[in-house]
Amino acid sequence: MYGTGLLKGLSVTLRHMIGTFVTDIRKFPRRYFTDGNHPTRSPEPYLHGTFSIQYPEEKVPMWPRFRGPLVHLRDPETGQPRCTACGMCERACPHGCIKVEGEGKGKERKPTRYEYNVGRCIFCRQCVESCPFNAIELSRFYELACYDKDTIWDLPRLLELGDKEVITEQGQFWGET
Amino acid sequence: MENIWTIENLWNAIGTVLRNWLAGFLPAWLVTLIMDLLVIVVLLAIGIVAVLVLSFMERKVAARAGDRYGPNRWGPYGLLQPFADAIKMLIKEDIIPHVADRFSFNLAPVIVTVGAVMTYAVLPFGRDMVAANLNIGILYFAAVGSLSIIGLLTAGWGSRNKYALISAFRAVAQLITYEVPVGLCIICVVMLAGSLSTQDIVLAQQERGWFFLLMPGIFILYFLAASAEMIRCPFDLLEADSEIIAGHFIEYSGMKFALFFLAEYIHLFAGSAMMVTLFFGGWLGPWLPSWLWFLIKTFVVIFVFMWIRNTFPRIRIDQVLKIGWKVMVPAGLVGLAITGFVDKLIADKLIAGVVLFICNIGLIIGVSYLMGRAQRRKEMAAEGAALR
Repeated sequence: MYGTGLLKGLSVTLRHMIGTFVTDIRKFPRRYFTDGNHPTRSPEPYLHGTFSIQYPEEKVPMWPRFRGPLVHLRDPETGQPRCTACGMCERACPHGCIKVEGEGKGKERKPTRYEYNVGRCIFCRQCVESCPFNAIELSRFYELACYDKDTIWDLPRLLELGDKEVITEQGQFWGET
Repeated sequence: MENIWTIENLWNAIGTVLRNWLAGFLPAWLVTLIMDLLVIVVLLAIGIVAVLVLSFMERKVAARAGDRYGPNRWGPYGLLQPFADAIKMLIKEDIIPHVADRFSFNLAPVIVTVGAVMTYAVLPFGRDMVAANLNIGILYFAAVGSLSIIGLLTAGWGSRNKYALISAFRAVAQLITYEVPVGLCIICVVMLAGSLSTQDIVLAQQERGWFFLLMPGIFILYFLAASAEMIRCPFDLLEADSEIIAGHFIEYSGMKFALFFLAEYIHLFAGSAMMVTLFFGGWLGPWLPSWLWFLIKTFVVIFVFMWIRNTFPRIRIDQVLKIGWKVMVPAGLVGLAITGFVDKLIADKLIAGVVLFICNIGLIIGVSYLMGRAQRRKEMAAEGAALR
């Protein structure tokens, strides 16, 4: 019968409308809230229900090879930064956004000052490739908006971010092996 | 006097108490004047509240149909969003184009809004709850409802913008086209009810059953024609964003734009309310107070309009006019003839209702068959042309 296609279209939209409410009820208490940094939604598309991600409350996990800002890693045994201030990353950086100063000789050498200008960084990962000690890594952190132009991050901050953001375990860095 | 304070006639009781209090220290003519002005203020308030609710509802329904949440940031579940929208509209800059015809440019939103609000006068919000129980209520509604066409034309002319003018042309073409089937459907209802008064039509449905059940074919016709009258999708050619940007209110900003917006949603509410009055038994219903029944039915109809808006794409202007003149007007005339004969020839109301129902189903099937045949012939002709 001519015109039944209209009813079919109406049924499709109605099913979608009802589907959003059904999924809302199913995950009722966790609709707007998340605990900590863990996302409640997987980025896979849903067949039914809303696909919106309520951004400040819900976050999409970044994929493993995402290039965020630079972070420093700790030696898991001693808890000290692995960096020996060799300066390879400083030399590899095409934008000159890394500045390293260190003291000591050989294995005792430690960085005294490590400045990373995230505002100039292009996330090319050259520094990570060049590091002989696997001391630095690119994080999956992406909320870089800030209220002032002071975008130079120092060593404690990089270490703190490294503790928080890098989920990969020791020896399982991407792109190596 | 002691049992006026029921939920059923809550609003009438408030009115009576206020009138008695005013009559204590004011002359009679002043009391009448104040009460009439108060009714106008209340109707305006209903219009504005309807706009706040409907704009929110529209966005939520659109969002849910598209698997989204809609506004949910300001207030619980985004309930305060319409107020934020209203404030934004009020504080926007009011721009008048240099080349615009200032008089008609400024007059247009007023005509449109006033024409929309005036239709509220005859809406039966509940038992004994109609602002003016005119004995020509439906006629008044149809006449005043099409007053806004003049406003749209004024807006299109005054803006001096080609898109606005195209929209004004379309307004005249489309709204006048669909005035005819709307009128034919209304005449069918009026013949069954035997009165033009909205209250009498509702009471007639108490006697004979909802006219939606008696005349489903006429109802579908009225629904489509009314959605064209209310400039709702898929007939919203006047404001087709993809073709003529926003139509007649392209040059408007700030409060004047808000007035057009207001008129659009007031029309939606009034049209849905009139549909409920004509076909769904108005305020009739068990248990709940009559005005609540009226609101519930109206919002269900409005939801259906929004549902359709979020389902179907817009059709072309020539298709709109073609459907209007080639399908709806003949179908309306046939429906009118059926209703007239059945109502006149069969005295018993129950049998008349059953016969009317069967005839209407036949009308639906017949129109559907003829449209399908026309479509098939067109396809065959196209195939033949391609083969040649």
